[in-house]
Amino acid sequence: MNPKQLTIEKVQEILRKEQYVCDRALATVVYLSLVMGKPLLLEGEAGVGKTEIAKVLAKVLDAKLIRLQCYEGLDANTALYEWNYPKQMLRIKLEEVEHGDKQKVETEIFTQDYLIKRPLLEAIQSDGTNPPVLLIDEIDRADMEFEAFLLEVLSDFQITIPEIGTISAKHRPYVFLTSNRTREIHDALKRRCLYHWIEYPTFEKEYEIITTKFPQAEANMARQICAFMQRVREMNFYKRPGVAETLDWASALIALNRKGLDDKTVVETMGCVFKYREDLHHLKEQIDGKQLNLEALLRASPEMVS
Amino acid sequence: MEITQETVAAAVNSVASARGRGTLPNMMAFARALKQLGVKVSLSQVIDAARSADLVDIADKQDFRALLRSNLILQKEDFPVFDMVFDCFWREQSYERVPMETLEIQGTPSESGAEEGGDEEGLEEALAEAAAKENVPLENLEEFSIPTYSPQELLNSKDFSEMGVEESRAIARAILLIATKIATQISRRKKIGRKGSTVDPRWTMRRSMKYGGEIVELVQRKRRIKKTKVVLLCDVSGSMDCYSRFLIQFMYGLQNELWGVETFVFSTSLSRITHLIRTKDIGNALEKISGSILGWSGGTNIGRSLHTFNRNFAPSMVTHRSVVVIISDGWDRGDVSLLEREMQDLKRRCKKIIWLNPLLASDNYEPLCKGMQAALPYLDLFLSVHNVNSLVALGRTLQKMVA
Repeated sequence: MNPKQLTIEKVQEILRKEQYVCDRALATVVYLSLVMGKPLLLEGEAGVGKTEIAKVLAKVLDAKLIRLQCYEGLDANTALYEWNYPKQMLRIKLEEVEHGDKQKVETEIFTQDYLIKRPLLEAIQSDGTNPPVLLIDEIDRADMEFEAFLLEVLSDFQITIPEIGTISAKHRPYVFLTSNRTREIHDALKRRCLYHWIEYPTFEKEYEIITTKFPQAEANMARQICAFMQRVREMNFYKRPGVAETLDWASALIALNRKGLDDKTVVETMGCVFKYREDLHHLKEQIDGKQLNLEALLRASPEMVS
Repeated sequence: MEITQETVAAAVNSVASARGRGTLPNMMAFARALKQLGVKVSLSQVIDAARSADLVDIADKQDFRALLRSNLILQKEDFPVFDMVFDCFWREQSYERVPMETLEIQGTPSESGAEEGGDEEGLEEALAEAAAKENVPLENLEEFSIPTYSPQELLNSKDFSEMGVEESRAIARAILLIATKIATQISRRKKIGRKGSTVDPRWTMRRSMKYGGEIVELVQRKRRIKKTKVVLLCDVSGSMDCYSRFLIQFMYGLQNELWGVETFVFSTSLSRITHLIRTKDIGNALEKISGSILGWSGGTNIGRSLHTFNRNFAPSMVTHRSVVVIISDGWDRGDVSLLEREMQDLKRRCKKIIWLNPLLASDNYEPLCKGMQAALPYLDLFLSVHNVNSLVALGRTLQKMVA
């Protein structure tokens, strides 16, 4: 799909078709990023769908998704390219045995055949009909050195390999960066991107997400789940659950054939939502102590028309 | 100062003259208003925003808001300020009638434009103009409370202010622990080493050249040891007097255990004492320091001292690897807005700022004094140092942080 034909409504619509519910502001930002060709930096708590949107977009744009998962110590060799040393050495040995042309070997072992493409080079060299979607996931986990290096790649979309020369992008890839904000990203990198902060969804949006993903879910249960999640996010837990947890939980409840929530069900299936022992313990206390009252929550939650 | 409707209105008013016809002048004026309220915006962002203005229907206020926000704002904390300025700025003239017909990107940058562009100078100016600044929410601030009472370990919980000679050995041990923890952080990046854990094919190939391509040596890689630089700023004014013994020991200990520590003391002015305490003889060091420092036990002007530090020392001493440790009780007699500005500046340069406050331990202490309040939003860690326990806690926290 050509981004030039897109509109904000269209973005929202095609994402929804792939079961990604997004609000108008996010759709606007995504649309701008696609049309302007500017990378989009998405920040937000864990599990609000930062990574997911890039995946879904790749699907709807019929583009190749190239993902670079960041970690501390990630360097140019793992992100960009590396020479295939064993292959080069084998070739040299082979030529030695066969008394091949030395000059020829020298030039040939430094060609693209002997190059291992890592995600960034792959994104730049991609020659499909559509530009690829480059997802640089959890950039906050990489270190400053890598950020500086990324800055260079993202500003020119070209890479220089000393032995081969400069390779520039045929199509500018659509770039999405995500960050969980374990540390601040440098301003210089931020300035090259559009910025959006994805909030936890509102009750209505979360309800929509559940019913879109699981049309078979009982409306009443979906409401209960949303009300519960909204409440729990306001409470003092070590790790607040995101949308990913909501969906896990919903699918678990559906698999268990539950039609609604009660205290017992909640406690039984809580492993989907809380992943820390302390949090599970805290939750149990809250339920036992009636501070977290499911019926009251449901009564207070807005009525949804299905 | 808080961001209120009034300060926002004042900022919007002050840029009214810069508003003109066309998208760019208006957006520049908008960016200037944001800048006055302490939000960083660069010219390239404004240009991109203007360029993208014809991509959405700008008559739709929500879309237009999303467009401006994603282009101009780079951190979530600035969203509230942005929203206030947005509502105020685009309300004045009835929104739909804001003249936007032309894109004047090529237009010569006006006086205001030059200011937008000058990253550093412009910013300084804008900062100097604006005493009004956003109060960053304190969510990044990890505040640790450390139990002050523990009957078994009387020594550990005894306040430094009432400590005798024999306790100093415990302090020294704690400091040694802190120092080694900082100094031996292992980086995940690798360097070539004789006894490494993995083979480095690139260097193995390169070394094999001299043997005619035959692999004779295996080059290996090992984890690099990352050295965190520490800059220590100690308050030696009168209000800190009872802690001065500890302070000196802390400075002295850290300096001698760690590579690359820079030590400064300040009261009304700042002095660098790194060279004075680079000796193993603590007694002599003491004499040298107190002999050469003006204003020891005097009043406090943290803002001015920080200003001196930022201007004269920070550019060469503070990098994104540095941890700045400030030890002070925060009783400041200087200009609070200057202090805040300098803290902001320092925060931008370094990796972390740790503020150690000996008063924090007392039960009824709250960081109420203006100086402390102004500095709080910029701290990564606000810890107490009042006994050996708290030092050990500091060591643990430092380790987690630099990891």
